Amino acid sequence: MHNREKLKSLLVDVFLLEPAEFRFDMTREEVPTWDSLGVVSMAVGIHQTFGYHFTPEEALAIQGVPDIMKLLETKGISFDA
Amino acid sequence: MLNLPPRWTMDELWSADLGRVGVWASPSLVVRTDEALPWPRLALADAVAGDWDGLVVVGGGTMIDEAKAALRDADRKRTLVVVPSLWGSGAEASPVVVLNRNGAKQIRVDAKYLPDFRATWPELAATVPAQRAREACGDCWAHALEGFLSPMASDDLRRDLSELLREMIAAPLANDPCWFELSARACAGQAASGVGLVHGVAHALEHALSAAYPDESWHHAKICATMLLPVMQFNRDTSEKWECLTKAWQLDGEAIVAVLRNLHDASAYERIVPVMAEKWMSVLRDPCSRMNGALVRPQSLEYFRTWRAETAPLSLLKEGQGVRA
Repeated sequence: MHNREKLKSLLVDVFLLEPAEFRFDMTREEVPTWDSLGVVSMAVGIHQTFGYHFTPEEALAIQGVPDIMKLLETKGISFDA
Repeated sequence: MLNLPPRWTMDELWSADLGRVGVWASPSLVVRTDEALPWPRLALADAVAGDWDGLVVVGGGTMIDEAKAALRDADRKRTLVVVPSLWGSGAEASPVVVLNRNGAKQIRVDAKYLPDFRATWPELAATVPAQRAREACGDCWAHALEGFLSPMASDDLRRDLSELLREMIAAPLANDPCWFELSARACAGQAASGVGLVHGVAHALEHALSAAYPDESWHHAKICATMLLPVMQFNRDTSEKWECLTKAWQLDGEAIVAVLRNLHDASAYERIVPVMAEKWMSVLRDPCSRMNGALVRPQSLEYFRTWRAETAPLSLLKEGQGVRA
């Protein structure tokens, strides 16, 4: 599975979304379950899926899906189509 | 590192200068409490409304949490001393309160809910039925293991909890007063980090299980004791974290799984799984499940549907990586 699909699958599960609800430009404000516990779940899931462990500062600074992709790309994880 | 209220013996509690206090005791303990303590009986509502300096609560976790909430949410500060009647909840050592409100669990976390003092009454252990005692030990194990695995646990906390887990491995799963202190430390540890799916299942299903099987007692500790083995194996199988942490802190994976096997009730698990399937979204949404050390996903339900104790491995570490005590 491509990294984009892996990320979509992960975030749909973590934030308990319907697949059709998900967009790659979603912001944290649009997702009610992206609360403090959602941040923890997301960080656990990113570690398990991509092997990168967000620092607490990084996890809290993320404001949307584009931020996750940008941050992971700086760690060598590509989301190119 | 663990932040515990000062601990008294019952003699020290008897002689403590607490001002004008009363005792709110579990109905099954009022006679013994009258003999053991010099203060009058007092209802919780009267302790909050009246001109009292404090309250001594003798009872289980539910009573202790109600007292913590009522006294600490009141306008005036009163001394709160708690004497747990059983280990497991660790409510005497925790800033967390879990309240049953309209059939749902309401969880509040605030430093103000930490009692001022706790007292240990070792003789109470002798009256606990053996099965209930074992299940209460499972509640302690759930706090210690899930606190240790929590993504929010610091290295200092994991060091404290790994020491505690080694002591718990050596403790008998029976009516032993050593569990009062082990329980307090386990609960203080999880309060500093978090819990996980074992608690998520217990919180989400306790009422549903009671409704589905009305002739059977489904309390928190029983569900925790039964769910520990499958959840820890799930954590092992879906994440490297369990293995990394247990190796890093030199925990004996085989000894831990032996304890969890003793706590597991295969018959209860068979009854839990269909209710868990029906309420799976509630389990996923529970705050505790969302803090689990390994991510719990919608499709994780299939893992628990097919899991059986008899096919579970003997170690929660992968082959050849167990640390022998």
